Amino acid sequence: MRITRIAALLALVFVATSAEAQTAQEIIAASDQVRNPSQPFRSTDTLTEYIGGKPRDQDVLAVYSKIDPATQQYRNLIRYVAPPRDQGKMVLLDGKSLWFYDPNSKASVRISPQQRLIGQASIADVLTVNFAIDYTGKLLGDETIQDPQHQNRQCWHLDMKAANEQTSYNRVEYWVEHGTNYPIKAKFYSDSGRLLKILYYDGFEQRLGRVRPSKAIIVDAVDTSLATIVTFGDVTPQEIPEAWFQRDYLPRLQAQ
Amino acid sequence: MIARRCALAMVGIALGSAAAVADENNDLHLIPQGINEPQAPAPAATEANQRIYLEDAAVVSSLRSGLLVPFPPPAPPDWQERLFLDARKQWRLGDRLNFTISDRFNLRAESDLPIPNHENVINEFREGYLSWQPLDRTYLDLGRINLKSGVALGFNPTDFFKTRAVVEPLSVDPTVLREDRLGTLMVEGQHIWEGGAITIAFAPKLYDPTAIYNNTNLLSVDPSLDRTNANDRFLIKGNVAVSDDFAPEFLLYRQGNQTSLGTNVTESLGQSVVVYGEWAGGDRSSLIDQALRYGRLSGSLPASAPSALPEDPHRHFQNQLSVGASYTTQSRITFNLEYHFDQAAFSRRDWNNWFRIGSANAGSPGIPGELWYIRSYALDQQEPISEHSLFLRADWVDSFVPKLELIGFIDTDLYDGSSLAQVEADYYLSNSWTVGGLVVADIGRKHSDFGSLPQAASVLLKLVRYF
Repeated sequence: MRITRIAALLALVFVATSAEAQTAQEIIAASDQVRNPSQPFRSTDTLTEYIGGKPRDQDVLAVYSKIDPATQQYRNLIRYVAPPRDQGKMVLLDGKSLWFYDPNSKASVRISPQQRLIGQASIADVLTVNFAIDYTGKLLGDETIQDPQHQNRQCWHLDMKAANEQTSYNRVEYWVEHGTNYPIKAKFYSDSGRLLKILYYDGFEQRLGRVRPSKAIIVDAVDTSLATIVTFGDVTPQEIPEAWFQRDYLPRLQAQ
Repeated sequence: MIARRCALAMVGIALGSAAAVADENNDLHLIPQGINEPQAPAPAATEANQRIYLEDAAVVSSLRSGLLVPFPPPAPPDWQERLFLDARKQWRLGDRLNFTISDRFNLRAESDLPIPNHENVINEFREGYLSWQPLDRTYLDLGRINLKSGVALGFNPTDFFKTRAVVEPLSVDPTVLREDRLGTLMVEGQHIWEGGAITIAFAPKLYDPTAIYNNTNLLSVDPSLDRTNANDRFLIKGNVAVSDDFAPEFLLYRQGNQTSLGTNVTESLGQSVVVYGEWAGGDRSSLIDQALRYGRLSGSLPASAPSALPEDPHRHFQNQLSVGASYTTQSRITFNLEYHFDQAAFSRRDWNNWFRIGSANAGSPGIPGELWYIRSYALDQQEPISEHSLFLRADWVDSFVPKLELIGFIDTDLYDGSSLAQVEADYYLSNSWTVGGLVVADIGRKHSDFGSLPQAASVLLKLVRYF
């Protein structure tokens, strides 16, 4: 009995110590490393929209991501593969610069991150982003919540505030699993504090050197009949020259 | 007592925490069923190199009577039916060689066209060019190319290759007009590097200027190179990143013996706002002089005909400007508001002359025709008719119901307050099918820019199948 008590006490001390050892920002950064490969990569993201619980449309995007060494934030290049009406359209995000290119009009238009380009999801939802760069986190506590497969996950509960103007959301609540640093859940809020989206990470599997989520489930918190499942497929390392992130390169990007 | 309070407090915290966690787990009920079911395989990424669709569109128009300046025949049709196959496709011929083609094949019937008639078949060969990459990110393109410049939506002063390129559009939305326009036969070189890009293009003169087409004399399957290659044209443009998010573009354009300069700038303000500006300037004559000269040169107007409006044959440095901003709301409606200025276009005095002379000579066969020719020239050149105008456009994706996109715009002449307004609704039935419609109206008094047009309003219904 006494040994059990000592073991329980030691476990509490261990948990308390690891919480102190890992600051909120370190937890967010560690979780970023789980979500995002550090080398340049390409993925094929499939966005399935659900309306009233039923799958409706499917959008497919080829996404090219690479860290900008100056900011440590990702630069992204997105090419629409499906649906057929949007095939070939492209979006470039380089720092504050966000461009939309339509091969039908051959026009490049500068857009804001707020613009919704892919069904229910905003463009910000499919970009590769390091949260630790864009948000300042605070540890709220320790919670055991269920993941989308209804498995209990012991998580750090973090409150993240936008650290610069480039963030898509003013505030994010974030749950990161102890030990693994797996991102489990996030809640995104508007400037006015309104809950906009609930996001679950799912389908953890080995890819590009470590276990990473292969799926994101995004529920529209304003109209909860709407949801989008994003599947990150065919994640492949790829050399991406810096010049690809020029707006004039958009018409030149070839489908791989 | 203290111990009891502590115990109660602990229980309270535990219950509160449990309640919070329970709330969090309640969110799981919002996840759709079946997320673990296998999904259909994603289409191959190479499909992004094409867009093919078949569209059927029917248009009914109402025409005005009692115009102050009579519109010369033929009058605009009061109904149209159009079935067209639209295709854009790129083939990879080698590691560094591509071929691109873009074309629209139309079958059409109109109230003013007899059937059968060669006018029932119109092919628009928009693009067909080879693209070679001799060095990394250095490109050489040869063929018919749609070279687009400009950052504004409603009017692009720096889009020098827009002139005469639009053929019988179904929508007057400027962003749609760009989708269906003819490219220019040219050779183009481009180099892109980390901090910018430079583009050089040369389009040779292959034809003498031809008369402005109307809906009853369009060329059937001719590539219509006379529209795009009636002058030697040269363009050099480049942009350089001045800072992380500011990369102005500068342009130098020469057509015949006229040189123009231009620039495009954009800046993002936070999450919702983008501001932009586009300017072009060069020695040009007034719109009236340009139009009448072109009419005489192409044989549309008698060479010796006196001008109905006062002409100023002298060229001056004339500015064109388009400045505006886009703003996206929390509910994802994107508004674009732009001010357009074209120094060569109609001033208030020109408008007064146009109406005064036109209405005083309404019975004369020649003068109203000449006056309307000036306006059709501006339309053919994709230039504003009026010196000052305001443009507001709104795009609402998933508007009242999911998959319903509403797009509306209003283009207002700031001299007389008359407007061109259009509202379009597209409902995406599925990934392959879209059904939609639009209403366009020319609103204003008889003595105004848009109120003097022969077409009062039209309604279009369409069905689209994407492949």
